[in-house]
Amino acid sequence: MKDYAELCVTSNFTFLTGASHPEELITRAAQLGLAAIAITDRNSVAGVVRAWTALKEMKRSQAEEDTPIVPRDMPLPKFIAGCRLVLTDSPVEWLALPTDVAAWSRLTRLLSLGKGRAPKGECHLGSRDLQEWGRGMILIALPPDPLESGCSHADLRAMGHRFPGFCYLGVAPRYDGRDPLRFDHLERIAHKTCLPMTAVGDVLMHRAARRPLVDVLTCLRIGCTIDDIGLNRLTNGERRLKAGAEMARLFQHHPAAIRRTMDIADRCGFDLGHLRGQYPDEEQDGEPAQDRLERLVREGGIWRYPDGLPPKIAARVETELRLIAELEYAPYFLTVRDIVSFARSKGILCQGRGSAANSVICYLLGITEVQPGSITLIFERFISKERGEPPDIDVDFEHERREEVIQWIYKKYGREHAGLTATVIRFQSRAAIREVGKVMGLSQDVLARMTGLMWGSSSKGPGIGELRAAGLDPNDRRVGLTARLIGEIIGFPRHLSQHVGGFVITQGRLDELCPIENAAMKDRTVIEWNKDDIDSLDLMKVDVLGLGMLTCIRKAFKLLKDHRGLELTLDSFRPDDDPDAPPVYDMLCRADAVGVFQVESRAQMNFLPRMQPRDLYDLICEVAIVRPGPIQGGMVQPFLNRRQKRESVEDLGPELMEVLKGTYGIPLFQEQAMQIAVIAAGFTPAEADHLRRSLATFRRMGTIHRFRDRFITGMLQNGYDPDFAARCFAQIEGFADYGFPESHAASFARLVYISAWIKCHHPAVFTCALLNSQPMGFYGPAQLVRDARDHGVEVLPVSVNHSEWDCTLEACGDGELALRLGLRQIKGMKEEDAEQIAKFRGNGYPDVESLWLRAGIKPEILERLAEADAFVTIGVGRRDALWAARALRSPGMLPLFGADGEGVDEPKVILPTMTLGQEVIEDYLSMRLSLRAHPLEILRRRLPESMVHERLSVMNGRVSVTGLVITRQRPATASGVIFLTLEDETGTSNIVVWRRIYERYRNAIIGGRLLRVTGRIEREGQVVHVIAEKIEDLSLMLANISGPGRIAGNGPPQPSARHPREQAKRLFPSRDFH
Amino acid sequence: MIAEAQGLRRGMPLADARAICPRLVTHPADLPREAAGLMALRRFTLRYAPLVAKDGSDGLIADISGVPHLFGGEEALRDDLHARFAGAGITVETAIAGSRGAAFALARHGGGIIPDGALKRGIAALPVAGLRIGHEIAGGLIRLGLTRIGDLACQPRAPLVRRFGPGLMMRLDQALGERSEPVAAEPEAPHFGVRMTLPEPIGLQADVMASLLRLLKQLGRKLARHEMGARRLRLELMRVDRETIRIEIGLARPMRDPFRIAALFTRKLEEVDAGFGIEAMRLHAHVTENLPPEQIDDTPDQEDVLADLFSRLGNRLGFQHVQRLLPADSDIPERSFTLSAAAYSQAETRPLRYGPPRPVIIFPPEPVTAVSGHPPVRFRWRRRGYTTLRATGPERIAPEWWFDDPAWRSGIRDYWRIETRQGPRLWLFHTPQAPAWAMQGEFA
Repeated sequence: MKDYAELCVTSNFTFLTGASHPEELITRAAQLGLAAIAITDRNSVAGVVRAWTALKEMKRSQAEEDTPIVPRDMPLPKFIAGCRLVLTDSPVEWLALPTDVAAWSRLTRLLSLGKGRAPKGECHLGSRDLQEWGRGMILIALPPDPLESGCSHADLRAMGHRFPGFCYLGVAPRYDGRDPLRFDHLERIAHKTCLPMTAVGDVLMHRAARRPLVDVLTCLRIGCTIDDIGLNRLTNGERRLKAGAEMARLFQHHPAAIRRTMDIADRCGFDLGHLRGQYPDEEQDGEPAQDRLERLVREGGIWRYPDGLPPKIAARVETELRLIAELEYAPYFLTVRDIVSFARSKGILCQGRGSAANSVICYLLGITEVQPGSITLIFERFISKERGEPPDIDVDFEHERREEVIQWIYKKYGREHAGLTATVIRFQSRAAIREVGKVMGLSQDVLARMTGLMWGSSSKGPGIGELRAAGLDPNDRRVGLTARLIGEIIGFPRHLSQHVGGFVITQGRLDELCPIENAAMKDRTVIEWNKDDIDSLDLMKVDVLGLGMLTCIRKAFKLLKDHRGLELTLDSFRPDDDPDAPPVYDMLCRADAVGVFQVESRAQMNFLPRMQPRDLYDLICEVAIVRPGPIQGGMVQPFLNRRQKRESVEDLGPELMEVLKGTYGIPLFQEQAMQIAVIAAGFTPAEADHLRRSLATFRRMGTIHRFRDRFITGMLQNGYDPDFAARCFAQIEGFADYGFPESHAASFARLVYISAWIKCHHPAVFTCALLNSQPMGFYGPAQLVRDARDHGVEVLPVSVNHSEWDCTLEACGDGELALRLGLRQIKGMKEEDAEQIAKFRGNGYPDVESLWLRAGIKPEILERLAEADAFVTIGVGRRDALWAARALRSPGMLPLFGADGEGVDEPKVILPTMTLGQEVIEDYLSMRLSLRAHPLEILRRRLPESMVHERLSVMNGRVSVTGLVITRQRPATASGVIFLTLEDETGTSNIVVWRRIYERYRNAIIGGRLLRVTGRIEREGQVVHVIAEKIEDLSLMLANISGPGRIAGNGPPQPSARHPREQAKRLFPSRDFH
Repeated sequence: MIAEAQGLRRGMPLADARAICPRLVTHPADLPREAAGLMALRRFTLRYAPLVAKDGSDGLIADISGVPHLFGGEEALRDDLHARFAGAGITVETAIAGSRGAAFALARHGGGIIPDGALKRGIAALPVAGLRIGHEIAGGLIRLGLTRIGDLACQPRAPLVRRFGPGLMMRLDQALGERSEPVAAEPEAPHFGVRMTLPEPIGLQADVMASLLRLLKQLGRKLARHEMGARRLRLELMRVDRETIRIEIGLARPMRDPFRIAALFTRKLEEVDAGFGIEAMRLHAHVTENLPPEQIDDTPDQEDVLADLFSRLGNRLGFQHVQRLLPADSDIPERSFTLSAAAYSQAETRPLRYGPPRPVIIFPPEPVTAVSGHPPVRFRWRRRGYTTLRATGPERIAPEWWFDDPAWRSGIRDYWRIETRQGPRLWLFHTPQAPAWAMQGEFA
């Protein structure tokens, strides 16, 4: 076997060009026995960390496993991180391979420079930039094909002079019958320019079988169908990774070019593992970080425990501080503290979570509100020396004010030192079907049908059943090809986007670590690597996330202060010993939780009455258990049975019971699952954590079963039940993406309690704050308002003489607060207009025109107000107001001729009055809610067979219910079961649709807005479900509520006269969750 | 109709329509063809009224003043029209009313007849959208609860004008017949046909040619007036025994020059059997194209000469048999060109081609036998032996994977350029996946 290093490989991180994942390329390179492989994407290093991680994983597998991915005697290739620089002012492309860390830093700075100049996703660099920054990199020139176009060699020569000894001329075989000729040409150029010739493969794919995919990607890039691709296609599959022997055969007359690749590979001494994110030292006024941290912790101790630290806590603080000092993590904690205290100073609510938040120090520093006593603090989870992983704290902020925090971070550290992490947007099944189908020439009709059959964002290609359902013949060659290509392209990166809030901060320049580019959003800069990459490289990051509920809580606190004189903060709640806590838990036990954080989802609402939470720890379990991890692991039912004492807690031995005693022997939290891996399956803590963090990589490389086998064998050897072992592993798998660590669940549970407290004791305040924080949560304004009214809150309609932009509270005669809907509820209203209306209101507007004259509100806005019936408080009905507003619209109207001026009075016009149905429809059209009546109330007499929701609880057997669809959920964990929530004038009913029924009534379920469901009643505790047997779509009836008029009965040429059901869809939106 | 019964409406977004009716079959609208179809219906409708005009993109308006009694009354006229259209398989909706506006509204909302003098009552129940007032105004009226024309007609006018502009009142007046609105029929499209009746039957070829020339000159003038040229011409010769002989010729480019066209008829006229003589002739240019007047110059244009050649060959062999090669975008040798009828395509110069050289002559692969060596040192092709002087290659071409070409089922091909000692420079390929050699071209 000949030694050869492949130095030019384009992975699929050169979007829409490369056709193999970096992991696949590395694995293939190892199988081929290459000495080294470089990943060189076009002006990007986004894929290098993936490749590096994959190589690390292969090394680990060789060292530790019995059946490694690559046989143990095979040497693994060396990995070289590089980049292919495409310049704007020269046809010559350069492969840049850094030889040391300094050169890497120059490369990333060069890329940052180019990206900073260009819009998102592009990079503008010139030869001059490369000359300036290229020191220390191996530069391999890839000139345009000398057989096709003559090109001046000035660029090559200039670069060779600038960096003597570092520049090479890359020669790639094309397999078009002219390779010998080409090589000779290039050799002459090499002699002329004094750049030694080196062989490169110019690889696009790891195997020739990816050639069709390359062509499809090319079509996507240039925007054509496969039949029009013409000469842009790949003529042959030779741009694949090749073994050394084959390259040597191609270059048989130029053996030096092959040998030189080995020299170059040897010179590239840079390894991504050398990168160390120097974290900011966080010194302040000459006070070293550790001292400052200790001082702040002491101060925090006095603040949190005015009576002095309990001895247990004090001891724990000592150990934590010692560990932090040892690992030099003090700056990280200080960063988070500073961010949090900035937010505090601005009155922005925030709350920390994450593994490192699981500590007393974070409580003392004010990062979290979770009292150390309330949860089990597992010290290993905090930070561990062995794992060598950086601490991890996420901080949630109010979603409306997070941008302030982000900009503060940019300002404090500077854009060279702080950047958001990226998120790789990948092809999901819908996009894959749409785009590949288009390239393959399937018609829009067929594609729409195919994507329509996929629910949500699944990651599978279309199966035979789906193809048939879309009217395609799966045996047709072209259809088969299309389906295969769709399957292949799913998971391919498509572009980089910004992560929701992961910040990487460094002491030195961040752009010396990794390229920074502009984000699509103004004033944001993003690095090229995503969360997993940052984790793999052990860089420290702070997650600055937005949480709608915090916004809502802050607004509620403000309202409570204004109207009730209550001064509340997040830490003023004591969920376990508040005197007013019992009613809060009573409310939650009744599943009366519309709008309450986390537990308002359908699954949680079902779970609440069974769980019967009575204290904060119950809420913590509640939050953690209704998650994909525990559900996949089948932990829910045993947990409930044991909690309700219907099943005894099985004894798993003292060690495990120590870990699991709080949760009845059932692992609910991430750290518990990890500890099972350690205690029961014999993993080292480092391995267990590695397993959790690398699950995504394992899945891509298809090596997950190795871990499963090892885990389960380990547990069996230690005498555990195979069933329990399987469940534990399933749960670890689930945790990888969605699991909650305990401290995280605890932080959330506090918010559950706080929001439930507000809802329970101040329902008007709660609804008002929720409406003002929309959009958030599961329910729309209509459901929130309705829930408030069910709780006895008086809700007042929108009024030009009373409403502000936000919803407000008004005192009623009996001292209760009434909720006044704000102008924000009106569709198409702008905040400035609302402010104008409030500002010039004075003693109130007497008529429609006065709004126009005094507040300067445009007639179009007046029409919107009229449509929302906002003038009803001044005695002007909807149509009359519209009539008046319309008059102001005509051009050239001067106030002189209006009612105030000298104009003659207009003849009185009598407009037809509206029916209740019309009013309701207009309310929904304008505000998506109505205070007048529920649409079902109007329809009720036409639905004699349907049960009113109220009576469901006393019924048995088969019933029919009819209602508006509020939510549709198909949880990934519920194997195809769909949950519908139907609302009628008395309440909401829960419908369960099994897969079989769903298949039969698919259209009604997906498209219907008003459904009649017939089925069996099923009861579990207080929760009543209807198991659907027959589903009818009655959406047409909604259209007829208003009688002839706005919705139906207009002639066909009018665009607003849609199909009634479509109209209904716009009127009565549902929130769909997948 | 079936689609409407399912709840689909015009103006609905396609995605919505699909959501309602997933099995919907759609075709993109072909507006020029629809307009042409409407014009054909307009011609047909001329049997009911002298003045028929297009009304919107989907309707016709006919002024039937003074006509109904010929059909036995308005009702009978409408029945007759419906019956005839139904016979032709066309569904129509019609209305007869005293004003154009009322007829428009009624035809689009149910159809029927409004008797004289009952105009106001007749349209009162129709939606305001029938007034030809645009969506914006109609929407505004509906929002105010004024959904029917009757609601509108009884309101004071001044406030309405203030809010909706004078256009609304104009349309209302037109519908109520208080403002007149004539039907303006558009001019007929020109008809490029000429005829000649002969005083005596003729039978001599020269006589027929002379008459044809006269017809052609007449037609040429007519074509010139409209700046058109003929692409296809049909000559009908009516014989005394009531037989009609039809001769059709095609032209490779639009033309109206009588002499050059006449020349193309000559050969076909030779075969005509005049029987007892021809008493009438009709010439019709049924396919025409734009042909703006050109400056006359004596040197014949290269293009024109070629086109005349195509015309001559085409009329003799059939136009589809006169073909030319056009370049195609494919690196598969067999598909690097396409054949296309010469008269209906434009010559294209081959775009500058990059990549390896291609032979001058490409033919379907032919087997090469007695091959020795790789690349071949000696081989036989077309029953002759060759010895290789120099071989260049291989150029590897993989099949176009999306296209199942039987010729390429043998997989990838490695092409070699081989200079032979015998002289010819040949293009061979080897199929490594089904080892064999074949010859596909010859270099100059």
